Amino acid sequence: MTSIGTGYDLSNSVFSPDGRNFQVEYAQKAVENGGTAIGIRCNDGVILALEKIISSKLLKKGANKRIASVDRNVGIVSSGLVPDGRHFVSRARDEASQWRKFYKGPIKTAALASRMGSYVQAYTLYSSVRPFGVTSIIAGWDSEEPAEVDGQVGSGPSVGPGGKKEGVTHGGPFLYMVEPSGLFWGYYGAATGKGRQSAKAELEKLNLQDGTITLEQGVKEAARIIYFAHEDSKDKEFELEMTWISSVNGPTKGRHEEVPKALREEAERLAKKALEGDDDDEEEARPEGERMEE
Amino acid sequence: MFRNNYDNDSVTFSPQGRIFQVEYAQEAVKQGSVVVGVISKTHLTPTVVLQRNAEELSSYQKKIIPVDSHYGVALAGLASDARVLSNFMMQQSLASRLTYDRAIPLAEITSRIGDRAQSNTQHYGKRPYGVGLLIAGVDQKGPHLFEFQPSGVTQEMAACGIGARSQMARTYLERNLDQFESSSREELIKHALRALKESLSQDKELTVDNTSIGVAGVGENFKLYEGSAITNWLETTFENREGGSEGMEVDT
Repeated sequence: MTSIGTGYDLSNSVFSPDGRNFQVEYAQKAVENGGTAIGIRCNDGVILALEKIISSKLLKKGANKRIASVDRNVGIVSSGLVPDGRHFVSRARDEASQWRKFYKGPIKTAALASRMGSYVQAYTLYSSVRPFGVTSIIAGWDSEEPAEVDGQVGSGPSVGPGGKKEGVTHGGPFLYMVEPSGLFWGYYGAATGKGRQSAKAELEKLNLQDGTITLEQGVKEAARIIYFAHEDSKDKEFELEMTWISSVNGPTKGRHEEVPKALREEAERLAKKALEGDDDDEEEARPEGERMEE
Repeated sequence: MFRNNYDNDSVTFSPQGRIFQVEYAQEAVKQGSVVVGVISKTHLTPTVVLQRNAEELSSYQKKIIPVDSHYGVALAGLASDARVLSNFMMQQSLASRLTYDRAIPLAEITSRIGDRAQSNTQHYGKRPYGVGLLIAGVDQKGPHLFEFQPSGVTQEMAACGIGARSQMARTYLERNLDQFESSSREELIKHALRALKESLSQDKELTVDNTSIGVAGVGENFKLYEGSAITNWLETTFENREGGSEGMEVDT
C-alpha cells in the first residue's frame, strides 16, 4: 500500500485520489488480527463458531462468552476489537426491540442485517468518529409459523398476521456478514478473522448451496474448521465457542442457544481426530520422500 | 514532527489496525502501583499496595473503593478516572436497587463501564480512561472477579494482577492457580499478600500503612481492611515463611 505518508489516511471519511477510504481499510486490518469466527447456514438451522484465543492462564475457564444473542432468534459473533463487537451487539439489540415496539413481532434477520449495515456505514461518513474495528456475522431463524402478534386481542387479519400472503414461503435460516465499511451480504457460509482464508476454503468444500448438510453435521464441520483454522497459530491455546439456531421443530425450537456441552465436546473430539489423521498422512509420506532423495 | 502520525487521537487507526491512544492509555495503568485479586468458591479478595506517598508527610493514595455493599473496585492508573467510573457504578448500582430491588450483578455493572470506555475510543474529542480496575464482589451467582482495561475490554478472571511490576504477581498466581478454588478465606488472603510481595521492589516491604485488603464472600458483604486491622494477616503470612527459611539455615 502506497497510502502511508500521503496524508489521505490520517482521517476518516476522506477520499483518496483513487476513491478509497484508508481508515476503513485499516479497520479491516484490526479484524484480521482477531480470532477466527465462522457461520454456517444449513437447511434446518444456522451455526456460529468462534476461536477464542486464551491470552492468559488467569482467565476464568468457560467464562467470557463472545457470541451474543439479539432477541431470541438471532445470534451475533464478531472478530476484531472486542469492545467494538459489544457496541455492535448492543445496537443490534436496540434495533430488535425498536422493531418489536413498532411491528409487534420479532425482527427479520435480513432487516436486522440491513439496519446494522447502515449503522456501521454511518461510522465511515464523519471525521469525528472512527470505523468499527469488527466484522460481524449475524445468524438468525425467521419463524416459518404465522407469527403471533405481540399483545394481539381478537383474531387479527384473515390473511395471516403481519400481512403474510398465502402460498408465499416465509421463514428459515439466514446468515449475513457485516464489514467495517458497512458492506453486507447474505452467505451460505461466512468466515472472518485471522484464519478466514483457510476457513473459507474448507467452507467451500462443504457445498452449502446444495442444501444437503444437516444442522448436526454442520456443528461437527464448524468445530473442525475452527480447529483447522487454528493450525497457523498453534502456539496459542484457544477455547471453542459454538451456538446454533434450529427450526421450531428442531433442537433449539427456533431460538439462539449454546450448542450443548456433550455435543460440542463430541464435535471437538472428531475435529482433533481429523487433524491428527492429516498429521499421520504427512508422517507416512515423509519417509517415502526421503527414500526418493536417496 | 511527530514520532508517529497515527497517535494523535483515539479515532485514527494505524496502517496495522492499531489505535495508539488506547495503547498509551494502557501504559498509564502500568505506571500505577500494583493491585492483586484472588477468588475461591466462597470468597474473594482484592489486595493492593499503596506506594504513592510522595513525601514522608503525606498520606497514601486510596486504592480500593467500596461501591455497593456487595462489591468494590481496586484501581491502578489515573485515580481521578477511577473516581469518575466508580461514581457511575454507584449510580447504576443504586438505580438497580431502586428500580428492581436487587443488587446489580457484577457481570452487568462491568459490561456497563466497558461500554462506556468503548465510546471514549470511537468519538473525537474524548480520550480513553487511563485506569485499570479489578471489580470484585459477590452476587447471586457467587463471588466474581473482573478486570477492566482502558480499551473497554472486560474479562472475568480466576485471579488477576495489574499495575507496576504486576508480572511477578501474575507469575505467582499462575503457579498457585490450582489451590485457589478450594482455599478458605484466610488462605486466600495469604495468597493475595504473597502475590503482592512478589511485585515489590527489593527495598520495599508490605506494611500496615502501604497495604489494604478488601474481602467479600458468600453471606459476607464487601469490607475494606486497612491499618491495624491487617496487622495480623501480615504477620501470619510472612513470619511463617521467614521463620521457615531461618530454620533451614540452622539445619545446614
